[in-house]
Amino acid sequence: MNIAPSAAAKNVQLRSWSIARKLSVRSLTLGLTLLIVTYLVLIPLFMLLYASIKSTEDKLPFESTVITLGNYTAVLTNPTMASIFLNTFLFTAGSLAVGLPLAILMAWLLERTAIPARRWIATLILVPMTIPSLLSAIAWIQLLDPRIGLINVVLRAVLGWSGDTGPFDIYTLSGMCFVQGLRLVPSAYLMIAASFRAMDPSLEEQSAMAGRGAAQTTLRITLPIMRPALLAMLIYYIIVVIESFDIPGLLGFTARIRVLSTAIYWATHSEVGLPDYGLASALGAMVLAVALLLMWIYQRLTAHQERFATITGKGYRPRQIDLGAWTAPATALCVVYVALAVVLPFLVLAWTSLQPFYAVPSADSLARVSLEGYFRIWQESTVVRALWNTMVLALVTSAATILLAVLVSWFVVRRRKAADGLSHYLATVSFLPQCVPSIVIGLAFIFVYVRFPIPIYGTLWIIALAMTTRYLAYSSRTMTSALMQVHGELEEASQMARAPWARTLRRITMPLLAPAMINVFFWVAVHAMQELSMALMLYNPETVVVSTMIWSMWQNGRTAEAAALGVILILLSALLLLGGQVFLYLRRSSDS
Amino acid sequence: MISVRDLEKSFAGARGEVRALSGVSFEVGKGELFTLLGPSGCGKTTTLRCIAGLELPLAGEIRIEDRPVFSAVDGTFVPPERRNIGMVFQSYAIWPHMTVFQNVAYPLAKEASRSEIGERVARILDRLSLGALADRLAPNLSGGQQQRVALARALVAQPQVLLLDEPLSNLDAKLREQMRFELKALQESFGITTVYVTHDQEEALALSDRIGLMQEGSLVEVGSPADLYLHPAHKITADFLGTANFIPAHVQRGGNQPGDEMLLESPIGSFVARRSVEWQPGMAAQLFFRPECVDLGEETAGADGAPNRGSAIVERVTFLGNAADVIMRCNEVRLRARAHPTRIPAVGQRVCFSVAPGSCMVFRADSSVDVRKRA
Repeated sequence: MNIAPSAAAKNVQLRSWSIARKLSVRSLTLGLTLLIVTYLVLIPLFMLLYASIKSTEDKLPFESTVITLGNYTAVLTNPTMASIFLNTFLFTAGSLAVGLPLAILMAWLLERTAIPARRWIATLILVPMTIPSLLSAIAWIQLLDPRIGLINVVLRAVLGWSGDTGPFDIYTLSGMCFVQGLRLVPSAYLMIAASFRAMDPSLEEQSAMAGRGAAQTTLRITLPIMRPALLAMLIYYIIVVIESFDIPGLLGFTARIRVLSTAIYWATHSEVGLPDYGLASALGAMVLAVALLLMWIYQRLTAHQERFATITGKGYRPRQIDLGAWTAPATALCVVYVALAVVLPFLVLAWTSLQPFYAVPSADSLARVSLEGYFRIWQESTVVRALWNTMVLALVTSAATILLAVLVSWFVVRRRKAADGLSHYLATVSFLPQCVPSIVIGLAFIFVYVRFPIPIYGTLWIIALAMTTRYLAYSSRTMTSALMQVHGELEEASQMARAPWARTLRRITMPLLAPAMINVFFWVAVHAMQELSMALMLYNPETVVVSTMIWSMWQNGRTAEAAALGVILILLSALLLLGGQVFLYLRRSSDS
Repeated sequence: MISVRDLEKSFAGARGEVRALSGVSFEVGKGELFTLLGPSGCGKTTTLRCIAGLELPLAGEIRIEDRPVFSAVDGTFVPPERRNIGMVFQSYAIWPHMTVFQNVAYPLAKEASRSEIGERVARILDRLSLGALADRLAPNLSGGQQQRVALARALVAQPQVLLLDEPLSNLDAKLREQMRFELKALQESFGITTVYVTHDQEEALALSDRIGLMQEGSLVEVGSPADLYLHPAHKITADFLGTANFIPAHVQRGGNQPGDEMLLESPIGSFVARRSVEWQPGMAAQLFFRPECVDLGEETAGADGAPNRGSAIVERVTFLGNAADVIMRCNEVRLRARAHPTRIPAVGQRVCFSVAPGSCMVFRADSSVDVRKRA
């Protein structure tokens, strides 16, 4: 009667469970989620690596049957490639040197000092996020083009400079670093400010009690404590800059400075000759390897960060440092940043969009101001199609991403105790796209769908699928941390109340995750709207979107139209972000 | 009604498998309130979650009203939503995006008509005096109200079994005491078979029909609150519940059967005590009695020679309000006693003490805490 089952009997019994459990909705969904995530992330990466070892002599990589390392030797022996690697290194180092100190300084000013108008500045710092990189590049060309750049023209007039170029030239490596660096500030600022807020203020107050001044405290206590977080952030932004395409794409095109991401693009969109997919995939594989290595370091750094855990939940901010005589310069710095990152670029874009051709503001050009550019682009059927496609793309991508992210995060969080390792697999694979540069995802998707039986090559869906893959990383991470805040007992109570898994997910989990889902939805929608590199790799005249439209208008010298379309894109992005916030606000106020 | 047999469960820990339950077996009768009591990490909540179906045991069998809901031998596993069990969680798990009414209506079958659902929810809300709160959202409820909503939600679908996971631990002391009686009254009037999990012995003693004491994944002992407290079968139980005096002693005679009277010789005199289940002839013995079973008196005359009596010097007195804790010394042995708050002896005073033979028990002296080694 009381005989415990033998080990063999236990095995039999466990097997019969696993069969019974396979049939449930939950296990089917798990299987489907695993399948989709694997398909979206691993298949393209596999195809990329596969293509990189295929010979491309006379053939496309997917047609060739010859296995070779030729593509890699071609990359490593080509003298141009050496300069591309050097440029990538310099561009990354330069952009980080511009962006990160600025972000750290501003985060410190806003979190730790009594700087005036703090809330305004903190909000304005984030506004550059609504301007796509593509358009800040275009805007800065109009401001700092050596010949016709607005600032150069004004400076030449003011300084009585003879000659018709300079003093600044945006078409240089330092110009690229400047524009890219400015773009890094808002998101880096958010990360650092969060670390500042997570820090136990009493650690700093203790230093003050020990008789140290504000400067000493900052240098000897605050920054050393934050060092692991800052180091992790540095690594993260190295990946971001290596991945960036828009700014080196536009500025580097004129400057003839190529970095890895743009080299991949130009290898497949050569102005002369056939696309070299073999070279592109070898480059892509190398970028991927570097990014994976960096991401691995980043993960290790952030995993060990718990040792330095400083989160206390104490809801107070430390005493704010009075800057004294430094108040004015510090405020000025923030104002100058906002002016450079938002005000000037947006104004110059708006100005350009109102002019029939590019002209420096003057009485003459002021008289020529008209909305003609805006009317003209509407008469073009391509623009209407691009706007429509962009909308569809943003909606489909964000809906698909959010649905997948909810499922992934559920299995990652709620099955993490299961011994089969599937939840770990899901967490890892869904985060992998974070370190796959967009341009590489675009390239890999070409390889997958040119040959694959699913006929979506050349449709909008392939772009949506590529973006879903890319944004899955951010979305599933965000949903995972949101779900961890939802007490498991809330779901178990639903089970005990006779609700099967699917009903629990629909009636309990998803409503509780709604705020996070809404946030992620709008985040993905805005990113999908502004995304250039994946779209550029995968679009055709039928599936043109606003960002590729602006890109080709700019390449064809249609400055005013590009600016007009850019202004529309910025306003749409701002509207969408604002809409998200209003939506969340209304939800919250209707709840209480 | 509920029958749990040879339940085994382990969890994957940082260093391999961690045993959570080893061979837990017990029965709960119809309408009974059965409490699983033990320190945190003893496996009581895991047992409860196995009954609920929220955990999958490794081995054993669980039956509810003769229907196997889990059986390792033939691979039966009924998922929680089909076990017809109501459960109140430690956090109450009131869904914050729903009103009280929506929370309570949730377990009712979708097939039921709207008016029937409304009626049943209204009835249970009235029963728990929540009627006025039907349209409130969960975050706007007090702790006590949340607990009642959780109860209403667990009971509305008229389950066969009610599971309560530390339902009072999130309430403040005053409210906890009040809810203890309300809970008991409610359980009795519903006549519902209940398994209650708590680490609070006072709560367990006050509420339960029977208590199962758990330690390190095993069920040590099952019995009525009075039995467990006054005549525990194991030293672990005596030690865990309340406070106790343990005094090394030599067996003089008696003790053929558990429950028999035995004569012991100890440093504080000779004692007549009852044999526990744990003690076997030939084992070293230990005398046990509770401080509140000690009678204190002033007169020292006539104390000599008679069993279960002695005299001691008061060393320390701690006033507790409803009683005083007295620590005294008798022949280098420290004893603990409870004095009535109006009759507190002075420190340094010689007092006479006596313990009724029925309140004294004999345990084995080397009872190790490792219950798995017990015979």
